[in-house]
Amino acid sequence: MAILEVRQLNYVYSAGTPYEKAALRDVSFSVEKGDIVGVIGHTGSGKSTLMQQLNGLLTPMSGQVLLDGRDIWENPKKIRDIRFRVGMVFQYPEYQLFEETVRRDIAFGPRNMGLSEEEIERRVRRAATFAGLREELLEVSPFDLSGGQKRRAAIAGVMAMEPEVLVLDEPTAGLDPRGREQLLSRIVRYARENGTTVLLVSHSMEDVAAVADKVLVMNKGEVAMMAPTAEVFSRAEELQAMGLTVPAVTQIFMKLRDSGYAVGENAYTVEQAVRRLLPLIKGGAAGC
Amino acid sequence: MSEAILQAEQVTFEYNSGDAEPVKALCGVELTVTRGSFTALLGHNGCGKSTLAKQFNALLLPTGGRVLVEEMDTADESLIPQIRRTVGMVLQNPDNQLVSTVVEEDVAFGPENLGVEPHEIRIRVDEALKAVGMYDYRHHAAHKLSGGQKQRVAIAGVLAMRPDVLVLDEPTAMLDPSGRKEVMQTVHRLCREHGMTVMLITHYMEEAATADRVVVMEGGKVMLDGTPREVFSRVSTLREAALDVPQATELCYELHKHGIEVATDVLTVEECVDALITLLEAQHGHS
Repeated sequence: MAILEVRQLNYVYSAGTPYEKAALRDVSFSVEKGDIVGVIGHTGSGKSTLMQQLNGLLTPMSGQVLLDGRDIWENPKKIRDIRFRVGMVFQYPEYQLFEETVRRDIAFGPRNMGLSEEEIERRVRRAATFAGLREELLEVSPFDLSGGQKRRAAIAGVMAMEPEVLVLDEPTAGLDPRGREQLLSRIVRYARENGTTVLLVSHSMEDVAAVADKVLVMNKGEVAMMAPTAEVFSRAEELQAMGLTVPAVTQIFMKLRDSGYAVGENAYTVEQAVRRLLPLIKGGAAGC
Repeated sequence: MSEAILQAEQVTFEYNSGDAEPVKALCGVELTVTRGSFTALLGHNGCGKSTLAKQFNALLLPTGGRVLVEEMDTADESLIPQIRRTVGMVLQNPDNQLVSTVVEEDVAFGPENLGVEPHEIRIRVDEALKAVGMYDYRHHAAHKLSGGQKQRVAIAGVLAMRPDVLVLDEPTAMLDPSGRKEVMQTVHRLCREHGMTVMLITHYMEEAATADRVVVMEGGKVMLDGTPREVFSRVSTLREAALDVPQATELCYELHKHGIEVATDVLTVEECVDALITLLEAQHGHS
């Protein structure tokens, strides 16, 4: 069932001024409950604008955003509830930490939801565990954490609201390769265990390839593709024309195929590539 | 030819945050960078690479050892303006680096402060904006740009000061693939055609693979130092340091682990394709 449906959405920045710029044009797509969707697109393609429409930070000029079948603007006075249900992690969220302790910072969202102290405490612990923050870190000032820990504390603050849809804008930017890998696997585990639908905006095709079930490609304010990951990365030429790229292993597979080698389906992660290549190179070694 | 432009001699540095124990960020770094070279500096978050980068334009001063920039000791306060003119710095977050509301004014800020003639400023600003692909946006409001566009403007602002050395601390972290490519091509061109010395801090291994030299830091020290081919062939050492290798390298390394005889010092997609074709041909010959 579609948890999120966007219908014919249009949005224009600085409408009525010389700088008027259409940011979203007739955007329509839907996201199934529990899916992890990678959102990619050239700088200025409208990804961030679209994400801000999903929890009502921006209002559509025409068109609709449906959450669980209902227009999020059905009752504008209740838009705050939508923001609890569609959790948003912005770029560099660690700059938004402000409380005295990590615990209080993570609790900020749930507290605003008017939950009981007991429930807040349960959620803070749970979110901290998913984000990989040890118990003793809950009592320290968020400003004494390392960069990676700050990022995870900020994400835990949104996870603690237990949103149905979690939107993350470049959550791994600036993290080192290990930190990136660990954060992504934490997000995936959180999503799978809670049945949370995730939209992950990223410029890293490798990150998207590693975690996404489906990929939404934005180009010039329009939806260029919305399809399973393998299918999107098999359209490399179109992606390149949009200023995007495909993971290096996918490029390797495409070049092999262009040179006339039957390497089968596209690979977009190193593990897949190894699995496909082994039997071809060394017949007996298959099944590793 | 191989004149030293940046030198770190047994540099140590401690962060002192008031009441807490001082944190040792650099523990005896020894590094010489030659004029006109392109060095990539790698390491996991907290390894000391940004702290080291800040030593090279005297934003931070060593607590032990010394740092020389074109023979100028950063400990000599009277030399600091000249050191900062020599080493231009692009930091991680462009929002902290933009000062004006209009793009071209922002880029002009540096040369204006250096007392450059207005006519010359115009030339430098246009050139710098073209170099980062932001010329069309010269009259736009800086704060309305996207993160990636802002970063390109920040790079242009440093370029307009015509430094000898460009230190870039993860300049591409927020850019999309084409923006990343554009910035990398720009930085390479500045190095190749203008003799700019480049030190690039990055978490993208594919970017590091394009440098002349890769320096890996771990625990406040230099752990590996060599050509990209030398450094990236040490896959397991890099992984222990929480780093990675380019996907092309990783693919060959994994195949090698499965007993396939394939070179493990492959760096690029093209090299990997060539290596795989050789293997596939050999297989075809046998069957």
